[in-house]
Amino acid sequence: MNAPLYKFGAFGDETSLVVAFVIGIGFGWFLERAGFGNARKLMAQFYLTDMAVFKVMFSAVVTAMLGTTYLAWAGWLDLSLVYYVPTYWITAIVGGLLMGVGFVIGGYCPGTSVASMATGRIDGLVYVGGFAAGTVGFAVGYPIFKDLLTMGNLGVLTLPEVTGVPWGIVAFGVVLMAIGGFIGATWVERWMAAKADATSSAD
Amino acid sequence: MYGWLCKLGINRALALLAFLLGAGAIFAQVYPDRTISVHEAELLTASARAEDHVPPAELAGWIVEGRADYRLIDLRDGTAFADYHLPTAENVPLTDIAEYGLLRNEKIVVYADGDLPAAQAWLLLRGRGYQGVYTLQGGLDAWKDQVLFPMMPQSPSPEEQARFEEAAHVAELFGGQPRAAASGGDAQLVDMSALQASTPTVAAPSLPAAGGGKSRRGPREGC
Repeated sequence: MNAPLYKFGAFGDETSLVVAFVIGIGFGWFLERAGFGNARKLMAQFYLTDMAVFKVMFSAVVTAMLGTTYLAWAGWLDLSLVYYVPTYWITAIVGGLLMGVGFVIGGYCPGTSVASMATGRIDGLVYVGGFAAGTVGFAVGYPIFKDLLTMGNLGVLTLPEVTGVPWGIVAFGVVLMAIGGFIGATWVERWMAAKADATSSAD
Repeated sequence: MYGWLCKLGINRALALLAFLLGAGAIFAQVYPDRTISVHEAELLTASARAEDHVPPAELAGWIVEGRADYRLIDLRDGTAFADYHLPTAENVPLTDIAEYGLLRNEKIVVYADGDLPAAQAWLLLRGRGYQGVYTLQGGLDAWKDQVLFPMMPQSPSPEEQARFEEAAHVAELFGGQPRAAASGGDAQLVDMSALQASTPTVAAPSLPAAGGGKSRRGPREGC
């Protein structure tokens, strides 16, 4: 059995929807487990009082990267068949800013809002309604946005190709970055907590 | 060791694990070498059961029926393709076939003028894990002989007569012409450029357009 499973014909179009559903449920479950069904937990990231979002997301990156690397090394995953999203840098900056503004205003990102709605939170439900309306609005206004979608096309970029550094060394570098990031994040949390204590005791 | 790990705590232990795996990853060879391998018994079985090729008459039937459960790939160069190609065929030179975006669970029929390029494509695709690859038996040469210009057998039995009439009908659908047995057999010169003019008229309404296979690709990828 080789991966990518879909491209090697392990299942067809219909089954792929079932697979996506199961993976989606799992993703939502882990988001909720990490506390990301709660907008307060997510917002704490922006005020640096709780770095859980950073830690969980970076852990996911490292886990997926190491898994991919070892599967490819074992010959079970053909990386040349994995779909890479091309880089449209202008589109990415505009979309990233919109996404960030929406995140801060609404308290969720699309995935966490669905997890939040599933646990019965009203704010999650409102957020999902908002992004559903936004999706429809985007589809209706597609002719207007069409050109923006492909601005600053740089094609498919990967760190090993751009930097010329071998895959494995980039992977190790990302792991070191993550561990450094976790240590730094914990330090920031302690520092913010100490600051909060000082402020409250001064009152 | 165990006590030490317990004292470390789950977070630090996981970080240590990631560090060790990351250090190991430095030596990873993630891009496989491009050698293809085909299982011997698999190849021989496919050959023995004639599961590796499609006879021209059968393919003609598929095209006439408008079947859309397979991709028809013309391996010749663009000039030859423009000159004449089978209805519904997509032009993919042999050198580009691995990157063309065919799916491994698709039924793929490859052809060229003769058998050899198609057989090479068959081996290449099978070696890369494509399951349903077939060659057009005898290539375009056989297609011309058997489908476009079928030969009336000498002193045919009623059964042969019926079969020939059916073949003659199919030949006319593809813009070909049945040949009588007495007309000098293979010596008859086949004028492919004249054929090209007549092909679209028969191919147009009932047959799917060439390259129509693109719409049958899998769902769009990405987020």
